[in-house]
Amino acid sequence: MDGVLWLLREPLRRRSWAEFKYVIVSLPVAIAGFTFTVVTCVLAVVSSAVVVGPLLLALLWPGARRMAAVSRDLANRQLGIPVASPAPFRLQPGIMGWIRSAITDAASWRARAYLVLRLPVAVAGYLVAGWTWVGGLSGVTYPLRSAILLQTHLPGAAAAARPIASLPVVAGNLLVVPLGAVLLLAAPWLTRVVVGLDQVLMTRLIGPVALTERVRDLEQKRAHAVDDSAARLRRIERDLHDGAQAQMIAVAMKLSLARQDLDGTAGATNESQASLQRALELVDAARGITKEAIADLRDLARGIHPPALDHGLDTALATLTARSAVPAQLVADLPERPSAAIEAIAYFCAAELLTNVAKHSGARHATVEALHVPGLLRLRVSDDGVGGARTDRGGGLAGLAQRLRTVDGRMTISSPPGGPTVITIELPSHA
Amino acid sequence: MQIVIAEDAALVRAGLTEVLARCGHEVVAAVGDAESLRAAIAQHRPDIAVVDVRMPPSYTDEGLRAAIALRRDHPDLALLVFSQYIETRYTADLLGTASPRGAAGVGYLLKDRVADVGEFLDALNRVAAGGTALDPEVVTQLIGASRRTDGLRSLTTREREVLALMAQGHSNGAIAASLVISDRAVEKHVGNIFTKLGLPPSDTYHRRVLAVLRYLES
Repeated sequence: MDGVLWLLREPLRRRSWAEFKYVIVSLPVAIAGFTFTVVTCVLAVVSSAVVVGPLLLALLWPGARRMAAVSRDLANRQLGIPVASPAPFRLQPGIMGWIRSAITDAASWRARAYLVLRLPVAVAGYLVAGWTWVGGLSGVTYPLRSAILLQTHLPGAAAAARPIASLPVVAGNLLVVPLGAVLLLAAPWLTRVVVGLDQVLMTRLIGPVALTERVRDLEQKRAHAVDDSAARLRRIERDLHDGAQAQMIAVAMKLSLARQDLDGTAGATNESQASLQRALELVDAARGITKEAIADLRDLARGIHPPALDHGLDTALATLTARSAVPAQLVADLPERPSAAIEAIAYFCAAELLTNVAKHSGARHATVEALHVPGLLRLRVSDDGVGGARTDRGGGLAGLAQRLRTVDGRMTISSPPGGPTVITIELPSHA
Repeated sequence: MQIVIAEDAALVRAGLTEVLARCGHEVVAAVGDAESLRAAIAQHRPDIAVVDVRMPPSYTDEGLRAAIALRRDHPDLALLVFSQYIETRYTADLLGTASPRGAAGVGYLLKDRVADVGEFLDALNRVAAGGTALDPEVVTQLIGASRRTDGLRSLTTREREVLALMAQGHSNGAIAASLVISDRAVEKHVGNIFTKLGLPPSDTYHRRVLAVLRYLES
């Protein structure tokens, strides 16, 4: 009984009406979206013969995304179905970067697919809703309407003259009523099927991306973040070089000149001679501090971003191995340069490992190898020391491993007691 | 002495100009990038060029590359190269292109050294006179990079110290003062170095240069 009541109530529920309205409103929106997508894509294909095709596509990416947003908004407002937006558009720098990012923007391509596939669904929805709802309603109300029609269209006398003849007509008319009722009862369900289909398309195509794509997207963003921070560190180093370091050197030069001047003068009295001597000592002290500050600044800047990295990892490693406390040999074969962030990580890993060699291994000789393997940068630091290197929690090697993980790098340690120690680090060529 | 300065930091450039002018040298041009340096050298034909390694546009090694090119195009031009950092590769590039006749001096110093006007002028004069002036840091790295060479390995610690100072461009007298030993002892060490590195007896200065270059071949 409850089931029947529920069935009877369905056409009267607000949700059913909302879905009906949604289907009706969807059609013009779908037509607009389809037309936009097809016309722009065709235009782009045609114009790619004269090179501007990609540019046109790039110019039109916001349109596809915006139209998808209108559809999402409509579903949300009419049906209360929240479809989350895809990840926001990420612009790469430069005009070529802009074109590339616009053309490779997965979300706008998916939006285009949705806008095209949606038209048949919307047309089907329109037809289904139209037939069932309008047909059902007109069926149910048919006897009433025909009675009214008869009353209004036939002259009063004629109607009065055929009271019996109208009886079978009325009976026939009454038969249409259950047919209309069935249609009306089925209408919300049929409409819902179509709306459901639309919803599936929507979540698949203009919602947030599936897990694997999300992972890829996050990887891209991470690479961007890693490169960005590498670029920022490089900028900081350069600012230090152009700013503070240059200023300190200028100060030191002035102090040096002042010292020469003071040195060349002699006080007239003993008192002035003594104060001259004091001034000389002060200038000397200031000069000493300035020199230390310059050296500190240099070490700081080198710790932030070794400038030699701009010239390539092998150049930077050459200096690193030459400065190593334990005699170290460098073998570098890097026909392809990894990204700047990867070079920086590799450099700091090598520096840390060489420091470890000097501190803990008791080695007499170390070797640093940096090799390009397709897609990878392989860095290997080996020594002839006592071995026994481990990734202890909180230790230097553990910190290194953690740092490597931020770019999917790996570290393998072979360090049996008695040595030798070989630590191999593999990094993706690009973060 | 006629000098051209190439340094991108205006403060340091002005400072260098002031220091050199005070000491009676003539700074014929002070420029901020490699292109202007080439033009200034071609125009003024100075005795010596003081060049910073890092210059625009990329701020990596423009100055160094310009210096190497100058060494090729103007073999008589003495060069004093300054750098915020000493890179082993740069040292090899710069000194590896020693002019064929070995006449023009060359120096490679950490930028800090200009802070000490006396030291700086000393290096400048040595280089202008056709000698070498290498930063102690350069020498440390060269020795570090050359520890595998047999010839150098056979040197005693003292001989190595002497060679290091020699590489910096110091005379026997200066080396003796620096190590607090007699001139005679220095001469003995220098002789041993020449023998161990297998340098044939000839003009002493020439052998000194060769001994220094022996670092670079390693």
